[in-house]
Amino acid sequence: MSRLLHEMNPSVKFLVVIVSMLTMAFFFNPWTPLLFWLGLLIVQLLLSRVNWKLWALMMLPFGLGAIGYLWTTLVFGADTGGDVIGSFLGIEVTDEQWARAWSLTFRVLSFSSLSLLFALTTDPVTFIMSLMQQLRVPPKLAYGTMVSYQFLPVLKDELVQIRQAQRLRGVDEGKHWWQRVLGMRRLLIPMLAGAVRKAERAAFAMEARGFTGEPRSEFYRPVKLGARDWALGGLFALLLTGSCVAGVMLG
Amino acid sequence: MRPVSEPVLSLEKVSFRFPEDDRATLNEISFLVNSGERVVLSGPSGCGKSTLLYLLNRLYPANCDGIVSGSLELFGRPSDSWKPGEINRRIATVFQDPDAQFCMPTVEEELAFTLENIRIPRDEMESRITGVLELTGLEGFRNTVIQTLSGGQKQRVATACALIMHPDVLLLDEPLAHLDPHTALELVRWLDELQKQTGLTIVAVEHRLDLWNEFFDREICLGADGQLIGDRPFTPKPAIRFPERPSAIRSESAMSVESLSVRIKGQQIFAPLSFVLRAGEVAVLAGPNGSGKSSLAKALCGIYKTSGGKVHASGIGYVPQSPEFLFLTSSVRDELAFSGFASPNSIDDLTDRLRLGEIRNAHPFSVSHGQKRRVAIGAMLADNRPVIVMDEPTSGQDAGALLELFNLIEERRREGNTFLIITHDMEFAAAAADSVLLIKDGVFTGKYRAQEVWTDHALLAAHHLVPPKGANAHEPAFA
Repeated sequence: MSRLLHEMNPSVKFLVVIVSMLTMAFFFNPWTPLLFWLGLLIVQLLLSRVNWKLWALMMLPFGLGAIGYLWTTLVFGADTGGDVIGSFLGIEVTDEQWARAWSLTFRVLSFSSLSLLFALTTDPVTFIMSLMQQLRVPPKLAYGTMVSYQFLPVLKDELVQIRQAQRLRGVDEGKHWWQRVLGMRRLLIPMLAGAVRKAERAAFAMEARGFTGEPRSEFYRPVKLGARDWALGGLFALLLTGSCVAGVMLG
Repeated sequence: MRPVSEPVLSLEKVSFRFPEDDRATLNEISFLVNSGERVVLSGPSGCGKSTLLYLLNRLYPANCDGIVSGSLELFGRPSDSWKPGEINRRIATVFQDPDAQFCMPTVEEELAFTLENIRIPRDEMESRITGVLELTGLEGFRNTVIQTLSGGQKQRVATACALIMHPDVLLLDEPLAHLDPHTALELVRWLDELQKQTGLTIVAVEHRLDLWNEFFDREICLGADGQLIGDRPFTPKPAIRFPERPSAIRSESAMSVESLSVRIKGQQIFAPLSFVLRAGEVAVLAGPNGSGKSSLAKALCGIYKTSGGKVHASGIGYVPQSPEFLFLTSSVRDELAFSGFASPNSIDDLTDRLRLGEIRNAHPFSVSHGQKRRVAIGAMLADNRPVIVMDEPTSGQDAGALLELFNLIEERRREGNTFLIITHDMEFAAAAADSVLLIKDGVFTGKYRAQEVWTDHALLAAHHLVPPKGANAHEPAFA
């Protein structure tokens, strides 16, 4: 086991994810996403140290979604012709429906797996720095994101405080989830009022330290881009082409 | 000391007006600041001190389209001839809010961010970072996540970020506003050492001058209309004088707490504690950060579930540090009527007594901070909560706001309301409190008569408190 995926340049990794997703969108046979998904799992198993328990937990909703896709496509899918290969509970399933249903299911699994691979092996700060250094994302956008990232815990803390204060006033949050979602509105106004003030202060503080939003030339910790990243990128490209070709041949 | 050649900052008849205002914020201000001086800009809230500071570091007029007239020269060059960002490496700034000054996770990354901004070559960055950490005594915090630091430590990091640019002038924008007096005094001492080592010119905006002792050499006073009303050598300031007040404690008990304790997620927040507050009594709850003060307050008014013990009271209200957290409606009147406990008549009565009449139809978010607090207290009283717990109402308040708070408590107390106030500000406590509750590391030290506590320096120090200035002045003189 190595940590190669963790050390991979985040921008290259990000491009790999985007390109893979776009490519997969054009293949409707079940084999391409299945092979790609299995390939991803093997790569992740060999080249990263992921907390698999966390991975399984996060895959759970996607897994349920995938089963949902399978079921709805089989039962409600448009009749696109093809031979009936079986029926149960009075529903006739054609071979085309069957193939498409599995294709969608595996696509959901491979897309979510791909996103998790990125999320679990990438440090958000390094990712933003890399976007700025390799993909020339403007510093204003990059550091703006960094600031909001720093504010998240503060905002979460404020949200708790506001909720406690409002409960004291006798706010009934409601029994149903939709009542609670509607109630969020009451929490958001005081929180956003504070957030706007904080954002302005942070902007002033950054500017007072010489931040102008101009592209920068010197980095304290350059995010490296080297042969290793291209090799890993190549590996994913190979996996992608392999599953596409194999999928077309098998399908 | 560098030879004094030319003034670093020179203002001649500088006026400033925000485009949306009719009246100028600053009126024909003229003064010079020489290298190595320690200057404080003082004046009432809203007199334009912060605006003036932002003109010096060029945040204004660019960020507000403000209209400047007169001549403002920085290091002998007209201020508008400096390119954006160019002046900031020579004039650095530390702001007041410790939570809104950083954009990177760790101290080292934050320092590096500053160096990248001013395009320091990469080879030089390492030595600058090590250097400034040594200078500021923050070596141990290099890889610490900034969010985990205390307010005082964050202000030191902010100062380090300013100093790493090797500036000639350091601007301080109310750097003590969010700190408790103990931490504030430590920061002032630390800044004093730093200035002696570096010979920096310091220009500060501050309203709590009493905390600075003899730090400054010179005081520039602005009047309420933004004109210069004084430029004189600095003299240490006494703390704010609050009016004397007779006790209004009545005999009946308003809140009695018996062996109350709280556990959150299996962890004991504070050990069982008991005390009694009487109607009309004002008590201050004090202790170091993280000692369980806020948790006790929240347990008393019912936000936290108690895990043992009893609280007897007819109703306990809570006013958080940001009173707007309580607001749920779009007018002050609706805010008081929200719970539906109070009849329209009693709400009108309450509106009059709290002097909320003129803002009764205003949106509770749009009124001043002092008025927000009045509305919050009004809402608590309308909900039949005659005992009011206030969480850090003194933090970040200037003298005027503190007096306003004092008077508000004074009015309510005379009508028999009871207050429990969490504060670090012992001057305020000395003026407003009948009794002091001390807590430390989740253990209740006890309830003391206020006068007893101020003279017990060991007890105060053990709870990270600074004795109020002139603590003995309240005692009768031995004639």
